[in-house]
Amino acid sequence: MPNTLHFKPPRGKRRRSGALLILSFLAALASGCQGDVTLPENNAGANTASSSNNGTSTTPVKEEAIEPAPGPAVVMRLTEAQYRNAMEDLFGTGLPSVALEPDTNPYLFFSIGAATTSVTSHGVEQYLDSALAITARVFDDPTRREQLLGCAPESIEDPCVQVFITRFGQRVFRRPLSQEQITRWHDLGKEIAAISDVNTALESIVGAMLQSPRFLYRRIEGTQGPQGNRQYTSYEMAERLAFFLWNAPPDQVLLDAAANGELQDRASILTHAQRMVEDPKARAATQDFFAQYLDLERLEHVERDPARYPGFTPGTSAAMEMEVRLLVDDIIFRREGDIRTLFSSRRGYVNSELAALYGVDAPGASLVSFVPVEFSPESKRAGLLTLGAFLTMNAHPTETSPTLRGKYVLERLLCQTVPPPPDDIDLNLDPSDTEPKTLRERLIEHRENPACIGCHMLTDPPGFLFEHFDSVGVYREQVDGIAVDASGALLGANFANATEFAPALSSDPRLSHCMVRQLYRHAQGRLEENGEEPMLDAIDLEFAASGYSFKDLLVAVAASEGFRTYQPGATP
Amino acid sequence: MSTFKRRPLSRRTFLRGAAAGGAIAMGLPLLEAMLSPKHANAQAGQLPFFGVFYWANGLPWTDKHGGEQATAGHPDHWTPAEDGTYTPTPLLEPLAPFGVNVATGLRPVTEIPAMPPGQGDGHMRGFMVALTGDRPRGEDFNHSAHYLTSRRESIDQYIANHPRFYDPAAPPRYRSIEVGVSDARFHTYGHWNAISYNGPGSLNLPTMKPSALYDRLFGVSLGVEENQRRKLMLDAVLADAADLEKQLGATDRIRLEEHLDHMRAIERRFEASTMTCAQPDRPVNSDDLTEKTRLMGQLLATAINCGLTRVFSFMLTSPASTHVFNNLGVPDGMHKTCHDGHWQRVYDITRYQMQAFATFLETFQTTLPDGETLLDKGVILGLSEYGEGWKHSTNELPALLAGGANGKLARGVHARAGGDNASYSRVHLTALQALGLGDESFGWSGGETRDVLPGFLR
Repeated sequence: MPNTLHFKPPRGKRRRSGALLILSFLAALASGCQGDVTLPENNAGANTASSSNNGTSTTPVKEEAIEPAPGPAVVMRLTEAQYRNAMEDLFGTGLPSVALEPDTNPYLFFSIGAATTSVTSHGVEQYLDSALAITARVFDDPTRREQLLGCAPESIEDPCVQVFITRFGQRVFRRPLSQEQITRWHDLGKEIAAISDVNTALESIVGAMLQSPRFLYRRIEGTQGPQGNRQYTSYEMAERLAFFLWNAPPDQVLLDAAANGELQDRASILTHAQRMVEDPKARAATQDFFAQYLDLERLEHVERDPARYPGFTPGTSAAMEMEVRLLVDDIIFRREGDIRTLFSSRRGYVNSELAALYGVDAPGASLVSFVPVEFSPESKRAGLLTLGAFLTMNAHPTETSPTLRGKYVLERLLCQTVPPPPDDIDLNLDPSDTEPKTLRERLIEHRENPACIGCHMLTDPPGFLFEHFDSVGVYREQVDGIAVDASGALLGANFANATEFAPALSSDPRLSHCMVRQLYRHAQGRLEENGEEPMLDAIDLEFAASGYSFKDLLVAVAASEGFRTYQPGATP
Repeated sequence: MSTFKRRPLSRRTFLRGAAAGGAIAMGLPLLEAMLSPKHANAQAGQLPFFGVFYWANGLPWTDKHGGEQATAGHPDHWTPAEDGTYTPTPLLEPLAPFGVNVATGLRPVTEIPAMPPGQGDGHMRGFMVALTGDRPRGEDFNHSAHYLTSRRESIDQYIANHPRFYDPAAPPRYRSIEVGVSDARFHTYGHWNAISYNGPGSLNLPTMKPSALYDRLFGVSLGVEENQRRKLMLDAVLADAADLEKQLGATDRIRLEEHLDHMRAIERRFEASTMTCAQPDRPVNSDDLTEKTRLMGQLLATAINCGLTRVFSFMLTSPASTHVFNNLGVPDGMHKTCHDGHWQRVYDITRYQMQAFATFLETFQTTLPDGETLLDKGVILGLSEYGEGWKHSTNELPALLAGGANGKLARGVHARAGGDNASYSRVHLTALQALGLGDESFGWSGGETRDVLPGFLR
């Protein structure tokens, strides 16, 4: 393994507007402040109204036997990353990158946004502009054009035109074309050729295909499945596997398998999924999942006053994100280790800025080169929750936010629900211009308000564990001359500080189960239904049996019953 | 829903109603309702426009907001002392040159269903009532995840789709234009990211860069042959998609239908794309909110003047904005600043946002050949998400009406509502009547009103 890694921005365009991490402390309160303090074991706090797990109760979900049933099928539009990966598959690299409508991430995942949102009129114009720019680039270059067409047709009636439409159309639409469709695209070519030339005609056929809903949406017809359920067809499974495991369209191997009627049973899907997770495309797609699951997008718009945080520059938050990406890649694809160690390992990846923030020696690190470092026991750092990314995005510009940090641990990592507040409550903390108090004291005082105790008893105690780290992740012994108290608790268990908490968190079965749940949502483009809980439990068992190998988890989700069958007629 | 309104329904509106389990009650037989009446009173050059100007986090709190705010001892720098012609208060003072009308004492009066919980949240309820005249949609409401959507279109789209607003036989190049200024977001999904709704789950995301808006509105004009080529391409795509609909469930059918509708609108632009007015220069982008507001305002005003559109929405800052106004010496995001109770900072930020509104209105002051200004012809509704940010009170939900609506809207009037007649939709209805759209009521779920604001209409 090379010791130095070069800093590269994450694949794809940086998104326009990462939700600022400057979420207000009290914004967090706005999401939960009443009720008793018992948490449901199994509730994700994000569920559709059709499910009973909709965050409406703080009492534990009863451990009744749930009748297994697949959830509904959803129609996803390609995300921007999927669109760009598809273009690269079809035409190669070096394409113009016209802006597309930004993806949205309700419940953390772009796939859920892709299944629930409508494209705007501007978005449709952008699809047009993008298709025109890409086809112009390809067809203006005679070498590229011939490579794509496989021939140099003299006229639109040249037999190779129909051959091209058939072959290329199948790759664009991820399914074979009917004769009627082939004729339709050919007719378009003839109409254009009548007013222009044959190359423009072919360019127009390709440009039109790239705007077709058949390309832009992943529609579902399905076929009869077991127990009155529906099952995705072979071609639908090919694209489901590809977009889930690669964030890209199916390759020829998958399309051939679909043509042979494969991908209809667990064994066949396992074979393909095992091949796919070894492909470099799975590495990039896994990074995309972790960026969403860990909400790294929020790092993008962090602002910090340089006078207050001299070590933090406009590039620091990108370095923090890169560190997480390198750690994830290291555990999953280099070491093939237990992914839960992400939350307890004493390893970090630092460039020169992060090394200075963390106060560690990092020979070889520069602004653009990241090197692995082992944190000493004295450094007080262990696991993701003691690194810059988590600590910075869950803090305010002027002070930390135990509430936001605790909420992140509960909701993102443990899939627990923080209940909503009463409709009209006092959300005020004493402004800091009254008598000086520590943040902990102000928060504890706040919890004396009966309307707020429910949520704050949940969110604040785990959040206090990270009080040794300021709003950019710098370690501190004191705040305003008062020694830091970093003791805290998670759901009844007490810890002295974050390093003591780290091993407990990484071995907490709720952590791994929640990772399964989040990955499942990402794969499905929707929240899970109650009937899918037994399927999630089964995946969780496979995950444990693999020693918490994330690659094996990807395969287990891909091959699970919930991923290849769906409920007929149901819409989420 | 009120049944006395006789508003023709678009095909999509109908599909939506069907998808929502028949939530749309129709006072007319379906086919008749879907036939649009001929645009009656349009005269070239006199067509009014409508816009929404949105700012985040409401107003500084005073005792008028009730609750604990009542004892905070802060002066009311918003509400004018007199009804009718008023002396501008410190926060309204930047808007004084434009004769802006102000309505105070309005609030959401929509019902708050108990389940799912949290639907009374000020951010969510206040926003939804101000933008749509209705409560948030309960079916997929999830307070913990901060996920919600609307039950219907927002007021800008209500007007853009109103059969008496655009001549169905000759719609403008763009039915509406959505723009935004501050990039800061509380979340990047749902209404935290956009203010204009077509209906449940369907938001019109704003264009965030002046240069991108310019390219969209005034980009290269094409030759006849290229227009013809693009039109043929879109024709082929529409034909290819024709049989897709039957493979989809009701909700996805609406999404596809919207997508195809947008393609048809683009196709029409290739049929008649001669620009009839001088193009402005391509703007140089700026990160400064005021400068960006001015650039966006100029492009919108030009677009309206050129007849490219007559509806827009303008999102200065996004709901629960996390924008850091460090230019005003405010160290934290705006939302946290409100909650932390920093009254002076919230006052400064609100005044800054009103100055930005004034900068925006200034771009509509171009004098037209008939001697009037562009602002004289339109209605711009200024609104926010709640009354004040500190405790999310939706009391005193602010409402401003700028513009002259071709002489139908009075200028510089204050009206104070209150008591039993405080539905926020009174300002919506006033705007609709100023535009001459014939609506006699507006509002849903308990917010229905038939009363306009006194003294606003002429």
